[in-house]
Amino acid sequence: MADTREVISSGNHLAALAAADAGCRFMGGYPITPSSEVIEQMSDLLPKRGGSCIQMEDEIAAVAAAIGAGMAGERTLTATSGPGISLKAENLGLAQMCEVPLVVVNVMRGGPSTGLPTRVSQGDVRQAKNPSHGDYRSITLCAGNLSECYTEVVRAFNLADRFMQPVFVLLDETIGHMHGKAIIPTPEAVKAGIVGRKQFTGDPKDYHPYECEPDQPAVLNKMFSGYRYHFTGLHHDKNGFPTEEIETCRKLIQRLEDKVMLHTDELELNEEFMLDDMTGAEGEVLIIAYGSVSLAAKEAIRHLRADGIKAGLFRPLTLWPSPAESIKKYTDMIKNVLCVELNIRQYTEEVERVSSRLDIQGLFKVNGRPISPYEIVSKVKEVF
Amino acid sequence: MSKTLMRFTGVGGQGVLLAGEIFAAAKIATGGEGLKTATYTSQVRGGPTVVDIQLDDQEIYYPYANDGEIGFMLSVANVSYNSFKDGVQLGGTIVVDPNLVHPTDEDRKKWNIHEIPIITIAKEEVGNVITQSVVALAIANTMMNAVDKKVLVDTMLSKVPAKVHAANLKAYDLGEKYAQEAMAKKA
Repeated sequence: MADTREVISSGNHLAALAAADAGCRFMGGYPITPSSEVIEQMSDLLPKRGGSCIQMEDEIAAVAAAIGAGMAGERTLTATSGPGISLKAENLGLAQMCEVPLVVVNVMRGGPSTGLPTRVSQGDVRQAKNPSHGDYRSITLCAGNLSECYTEVVRAFNLADRFMQPVFVLLDETIGHMHGKAIIPTPEAVKAGIVGRKQFTGDPKDYHPYECEPDQPAVLNKMFSGYRYHFTGLHHDKNGFPTEEIETCRKLIQRLEDKVMLHTDELELNEEFMLDDMTGAEGEVLIIAYGSVSLAAKEAIRHLRADGIKAGLFRPLTLWPSPAESIKKYTDMIKNVLCVELNIRQYTEEVERVSSRLDIQGLFKVNGRPISPYEIVSKVKEVF
Repeated sequence: MSKTLMRFTGVGGQGVLLAGEIFAAAKIATGGEGLKTATYTSQVRGGPTVVDIQLDDQEIYYPYANDGEIGFMLSVANVSYNSFKDGVQLGGTIVVDPNLVHPTDEDRKKWNIHEIPIITIAKEEVGNVITQSVVALAIANTMMNAVDKKVLVDTMLSKVPAKVHAANLKAYDLGEKYAQEAMAKKA
């Protein structure tokens, strides 16, 4: 039996379908353009699958409800856009500190503030890295086509349970609303790939959810299963109770860092488009783009190659933590590097950091309109 | 068939989005690639809306129609017509509802403009104004020969409730008839 299927749908609807197929049984949401179709679709899908979808009174309550379901042990989702993330930030910090798995779909629109509600942007890339204060490592995935609106949400649920923390999936208005063909895994294939959160099965007396290896997440047993522990946003001990004990505090925050950064190999995912014939020869062009912009970049590369310019695309699907080694490999090899983003330098600065190069060229747009393939072609011809 | 680029424009709530979805789904049903991308303002009902439809035999990457490459545009609102007409290639076909959209003399030199009273046809001849998107669908496909008619009609019927199948079939036939008459007049 084939393990893929063809569907005709939009990015937002595919994200919702993916959540339901990945075993999500709760969504706390609040509608906001351009993400509203996610909660609209979940309100139809979840009750049919024994789950619940609640439209809460605001964004803050929406994420609080989703975190509550995550604390109880369910796979849980919230979906919003940039202004919603701003409101949810405090509770997202709580989920990081308590190590509650949760998937947050952010369909990006123009910002700051209420910005351009119906227009495309990638202005939340930097926000996704650190929406809340304090030290922790965000895991942020980014869909670059319709199929990935499905596959990245599925991946996000598995990563959330593996790393026991919120995982962002960034879509943008273009990807969320575009409507066409997508080849996606079958529900059976998705189900077969589900790896749920770890559970402690020993004597409840021996259960200490936050007492774990220094590079591993907490082991939070599902609620109402006979294991008792405490949730707090304060620094906490092995049972989740507040403490100011020096070593316990240090170890906790270091573990939040290390549980992600010592396992980036489990997170990294990139697409290398027409890079296989690059040799580092003069005149070659490396384009770095992600999300819907990568679609324009691919079409631009078709045109550039037709014009005799050897260009290729490096596209991270996991934006945070960034694929530092992979970016460095290509930026070491290829001199002409162009970052294309619907924001001002938000990922370009990361590329500069990991490549140790300050001559990275950029094409940026922040007026709510997409970057066209022709703009990329013109920019390449202008700067290289 | 190579790439077909069409643009439907109106104001929010007129059903132009659905027409785009039907085109894309019909093209995919024939084994090709179809993509619909909509742009609208935050004033959803009443704001200018544009739907770009790309039909191709090879994989479509960039989801919007590039300005100057659109072969066909249909418009049922003047504000949208003025905002989006410049995407149409010189000599391209534009269909407008003459009761709502008023092209300039300059426009008529640049593009092949047909006037078909789409809203009136839907309202008075079909008897249901909501069927205007199907009238528009028929006009677009008759003029562009974009997708096999039977596949398009079957796709359209699969997306509307059974109780309005007859009205929508009538809307399609009327759209096709008016399009053929308009083309004959220009020929």
